Order: sequence, then C-alpha cells, then structure tokens
Amino acid sequence: MQKSIFGSIGEVALFGAKAIRDAFVPPFEGEYLLTQFYEIGVGSFFLVLAAGFALGVVITLHTRSTLVQFGATAEIPVFQSLAFFNEIGPLVAALLMAGRVGAGIGAQLANMRATEQIDAIETLSVDSFKLLVVTRVIACTLMLPLLTIFMDAAGILGGFLSEHIWSHLSWTLYMHRAFDGVALADFIPPTLKTAVFGYLIAVISCFYGYNTNEGSDGVRKAATNSVVISSLVVILADVILVKCIFFLFPDQAI
Amino acid sequence: MSEGQTNAATIAFEEVEKGFDGRKILDKVSFTVAEGEALCILGRSGTGKSVTLKLMIGLLMADAGKVLVGGKDMAALDEDGLMKVRRRMGYLFQSAALFDSFTVNQNLCMPLHRLDPNRSPEEVERAVEQALREVGLEKDGNKMPNALSGGMQKRAGLARALVLQPKILLVDEPASGLDRITASEIDDLLIKVKTERHTTMVIVTHDVHGARKIADKFAVLNKGRLLAFGTPAELDKRDDNLLQQFIAER
Repeated sequence: MQKSIFGSIGEVALFGAKAIRDAFVPPFEGEYLLTQFYEIGVGSFFLVLAAGFALGVVITLHTRSTLVQFGATAEIPVFQSLAFFNEIGPLVAALLMAGRVGAGIGAQLANMRATEQIDAIETLSVDSFKLLVVTRVIACTLMLPLLTIFMDAAGILGGFLSEHIWSHLSWTLYMHRAFDGVALADFIPPTLKTAVFGYLIAVISCFYGYNTNEGSDGVRKAATNSVVISSLVVILADVILVKCIFFLFPDQAI
Repeated sequence: MSEGQTNAATIAFEEVEKGFDGRKILDKVSFTVAEGEALCILGRSGTGKSVTLKLMIGLLMADAGKVLVGGKDMAALDEDGLMKVRRRMGYLFQSAALFDSFTVNQNLCMPLHRLDPNRSPEEVERAVEQALREVGLEKDGNKMPNALSGGMQKRAGLARALVLQPKILLVDEPASGLDRITASEIDDLLIKVKTERHTTMVIVTHDVHGARKIADKFAVLNKGRLLAFGTPAELDKRDDNLLQQFIAER
C-alpha cells in the first residue's frame, strides 16, 4: 500500500517535471494553448466572480456580528481585504478550479484515451503529451493567478455592498479602510502562490486522464481522482506555501 | 530481412512476441509486407490482430523479436525517430478516433499544420479539400464528428489518414459496424488508394469478402500464432479445415 502511494507520487512528480521541460521545447502549440486559455480562464470567470461576491457578502455579515461587540466595525473593510488577499481568494479560486477545470481535464483526457483519440494523435506524428498536457498545464498555471485577482475584487465588492446596505458606508471610505495598512506583500505572494496551485491541479488532472485506459469506468475514476486529489494537494501545498511566505516576508506572520 | 536493406514502405515481423498481464497475445509471429502490397490479417477476435497494427506504428513495443518498418527497428528508435517513421504511415482506427472537439476540417488540418509549418493556409485548405473529395465528404468538412454516421466517420478517418500522403496505410476493421453496401464503398476506396498511390497496406478485418477484393496476401492468426501466410489462391489450395473456416466466403 505504502509502496503504491509513494510510487504514484513519484509518477505524478515525473509527469509534472516532463510537463515543465516540454513547455520550453518547440513546437509551442500556440493555437491550442489559446483555446485552453479561453476554456480554463474565460470558462471559469463567472463562477469565480459569483463565488467571490457571495463569499464577500457572507464574510462581512459574519465579521460584523462579531466585531460589533467590540465596537470595531470600522475594521471590517481591512479584515475583508486581508482575508481575501491572503487566503480566501487564492484557496477558494484554486478549489473552484480543481472542481470545474480539474474534473473536466480528467474526464476529457480519459475519454480521449478510451476512444483512441490520443493514439490517433500519436499516429499523426504529433506529440500528444505536448498538445494535450503541456498546453493545459501552462494555461492553468497562468490563469489561476488572474482568476484569483478577480475573485479578490469580487469579494471586496460583495463586502462593500453588504456593509453599505447595513451602515451606508461610502465606496471611497470603504476602499480607503480596506487598503489602509495593506502592503504589496499582503497581495503579491499569496496571489503568485496560486500559480503553483494551478500547476498542481493541471498536472494531477492530466496525469489521471492521460494515463487511464479503462473505458467509461476509467473516465469516472479519472474525473473523481482529479478533483479529490488535486483539492487535497492544493490544501496541503497551501500550508507549505504559507510557511514559505512567512519565512520570506516575516512582517506578514505578525 | 535486416535493417537498412529494405524499402521505406516495407514491413517485417521477425519472431515477434507480445503479451499483456502474463497472457501471450502474439507468439513468434514472422511475415513481411513488400512495397505496394496489401496484406489482410484475418483471425478470431482477441488473437492479436489490432495489436499487430499497433506494433507496426509503434503504439506498442514487442516483448521479443523485431518489428522493422522501412528497415528500421521500431524498438530501437527514440521519440524523434519514431515520429519520422510515423510520418510515412497512416492509421485508420476501428472507431475512426476522430477528435470529437474538432470539426472534420480541423481533424485533417491538425497534422498538416504541425508537420509542415511552411505550408500556406491556402495549401492546407486545398490538401484538406482534396482528401475529403477523395472519400466523398467534400460537403461535410464543417461538421462535428458526432454529426456524422458511422460510415461517414470511417471515411473522415480515412481522409485524415491519407491527408499526409502516407507510403504505408494501416487499417483496423474497416467494415466493422457498417452495412454491406457502406463497407463495400470503404473497400473500394482502399482499392483506389492502393492502385493509384501504390500504398503499402495492412488491413485487419473479419470481412473475408472485402479482404479478397483488396488483399494480395493473407496472414491468418490463431491463438497468437501465425496459422498461415500467403496469397489467397495459395491458401485456398491448402487442406486445412481451420484455415478454410477463416478464409472461406460464406
């Protein structure tokens, strides 16, 4: 059992390393890469916006009920922005991507394997790994930080609307309070860490989709494994990356 | 037949063995296919016919023995070498294996764009049009694969296999799932490709009627071993009940 777990980790690691290596070797499959940017980025855009906005509203409602007891409702905007920049935006955007994009990648590649479409690509002298895996890994790695920025913005907007309805706080004052004392180090490292999340989601999902060959049951397993394992790995990676950020930017840990 | 001594469009199996999960699928199978020749592989389901095709194009590698394509040992080639050999080959899958998120046109364009980036868009378009015209799908290029019938998918798959003008064409069950008339149309297309382009062909089939129309030679597999190999006329003369069951038209 242990051997098989470590064996699988090793296989996924080699698969991910090959994706990085092949990303720098031509041909770069630009046309197909643009399709992936569209499907992964634009396809997830409204989901991320809606989720960010709803979370922004809900978190403001919860924090208000607590902070009002201490007369600290003026801190709601900065609490909101720090919560979104540091953790909620990056982690929730990554989990949404694992659910929507990861399952899609796993199922699509597994179906292509089952219906011999991947073999067909190989018979046409086209490198199926570069075409199908590398493009998806690049697209997920680059699109997740962008989606996270939109999620942060939607969360802050949701928080503002909730606060505005409750206390009639103006947009200018809300934004002033939200960004007062927020440093670039509060925003940039946590946003950039989502590139690692995007890479992990794509590699794990592609691994299960690309390497399965069990017909429709394989498609089901690939989709399930893609979501479950990439979500779990993202959460575990978050713990490590937060520690790294605290190490590199000690002020954040205070 | 040794490496370097053969023509680019020849195929040779030398004592090839292949197994899966401890079960031997091919057991010391040897035969050759000369340039421009059409070989039909016959036999029961599960006797390694499709595996034989996949060994020829390097989708699978032999456990023992040699698979030589154009004199090149497929097992000795690196990824680039394999790609070069495959450029001379076309493969029609049993299910056609069209890319279901692409239109028929895009299915055909994909290899052209990648393998010959110097080709202008107009040249690519012309090559695609010509390939589709050859299989009678010139009006269906903008359709998605799921909008095509089984026979049309086979034709589109054949057009994709032919668009790169291969010297060797591998065909897996061209008649499977098709009615007699449509299957006969596919057979006629294959005969046309063979006669007009002098393409070397290996066709896996259960359809003896179609095989007799196309084949110069038969290879009959039974339980992983080569039961018989030769021209249809030669095999017809053999007094072997099992063989005659495989090659006799009913």
